Amino acid sequence: MRALSYQGPYSVKVTDKPDPGIEHPQDVVLRVTRSAICGSDLHLLHGLVPDTRVGCTFGHEFAGVVEEVGSEVRTLSAGDRIVVPFNISCGQCFFCLKGLTSCCENASAASDIVSGAFGYSHLTGGYEGGQSQYVRVPYADVGPMKIPDDMTEEDVLFLSDIFPTGYQGAEMCELAGGETVIVFGAGPVGLFAMRSAWLLGAGRVIAVDSVDYRLDFARRFAEVETVNFKEAGDVVALLREMTGGRGADAVIDAVGCEAHGKTMDRVTGIHLMLQAGSPTALTWAIQSVRKGGVVSVIGVYGPPFNLVPMGDIMNKGLTLRAGQCNVRRYMPRLLEHIREGRVDAKGIISHRFPLEEAPKAYHLFANKLDDCVKCVLMPHGHA
Amino acid sequence: METPNPRLAADLPVEKRPGVPRQLDELPASRAVQAEITLQPRTVLSFRHTGRTELTPVFGTASPPRGLSGLLRKKAYEIPEHKARHFLLLIGADRVDFLEHTLLPRLPFAAAAVVGASVLVRRWRRLH
Repeated sequence: MRALSYQGPYSVKVTDKPDPGIEHPQDVVLRVTRSAICGSDLHLLHGLVPDTRVGCTFGHEFAGVVEEVGSEVRTLSAGDRIVVPFNISCGQCFFCLKGLTSCCENASAASDIVSGAFGYSHLTGGYEGGQSQYVRVPYADVGPMKIPDDMTEEDVLFLSDIFPTGYQGAEMCELAGGETVIVFGAGPVGLFAMRSAWLLGAGRVIAVDSVDYRLDFARRFAEVETVNFKEAGDVVALLREMTGGRGADAVIDAVGCEAHGKTMDRVTGIHLMLQAGSPTALTWAIQSVRKGGVVSVIGVYGPPFNLVPMGDIMNKGLTLRAGQCNVRRYMPRLLEHIREGRVDAKGIISHRFPLEEAPKAYHLFANKLDDCVKCVLMPHGHA
Repeated sequence: METPNPRLAADLPVEKRPGVPRQLDELPASRAVQAEITLQPRTVLSFRHTGRTELTPVFGTASPPRGLSGLLRKKAYEIPEHKARHFLLLIGADRVDFLEHTLLPRLPFAAAAVVGASVLVRRWRRLH
């Protein structure tokens, strides 16, 4: 089969690889029909995630058709169309039973900090990702959701990660109705966090980014106010001024470890790797939330540590909530939102490419060229 | 405080929110649960963090460790995750992995070039 293959920092290509097979009785093999490139794939591409091995395949947002079924799989059959959460979860461990499928302890032995995921380094279990023609899906009865007959793979593709992740980010803000929410990052996850903030009762939503076309898109897609931090001067002061001097009730960091905005963070975090990436968005989130407010972190940060103003968190009495999304429990409700037309999830797709053009798609997405919001790969063409 | 937008705020009631409460008492009964998970056959070398005595019953088999980078990774997984050097060694192994994949395939050509150049230099010296 053809599959994306990591070649080292800033380099991917599409190569031939052996077809995946059933390696465990709870596996299925999926023919991938749609596979998206996530912002967090760029952290892998840029060599920031430890134990990212040359030759591995990225991709944790995908949907497709079941091709082969393991002997213990009970709920899926060959020919079923499914969308697959990025988490790999057993469904029966201590954490899965609590609904914390992102913390499953039966999917990755390599780390006690992160759990199993598709195509996201060997820390998350060493599973191949879905930016390929076929992919092995473990614990197939637990994570995947069948796609309703009247919906396409693209309709539901983002239930695999970014829509639930954005929703969980907004949900962690504990909105009771009418709050002001600031979202740092107008990328795909940030856009869904903004839409979700409205769903959960926000009274005002403000998006912060530095890329004009993304802020334009956020105004259209999520009906939010926007701030370009490069034009703002002191962005924290501006946000506090916009929120009555106190700061926002809740702030969502949907940027993660490659934030722009502070030279010192870029130099120490990205170029010298003296901390785990650049925590500028998280720092600004902590500084622009009101006392007693909530900071919700859904941007990806890696080990071992980051330099953030812990004293502000303590002295302002902040609630800091974070986490990889427990995708599976969000899928049914968010499917309803898509079906009812409250959220046009596939509306964020700006580019579609055949798998062979995946390196071009990465280049476009990473460098924010051609007004790129979200790239989707079609490993088997338009079928 | 502003007023929630009634057109948009479909999940304002807490009972509509799928992630609340964040930690459930038990998994919904509709989900299939087995008593014991069959162990996946060990076909490749996989590492585990120091807090685990065994591999997980299911694991990935992509890009097994090899070469110097594999040795470095093995060493890294002997260090607990709460020590920064565990991750620093893994990052170092990643860079060695990259060099192994980019430089080693070119080594025969480089060696041939060095041998060829030295032969030419010797001949040139003999002639002059």
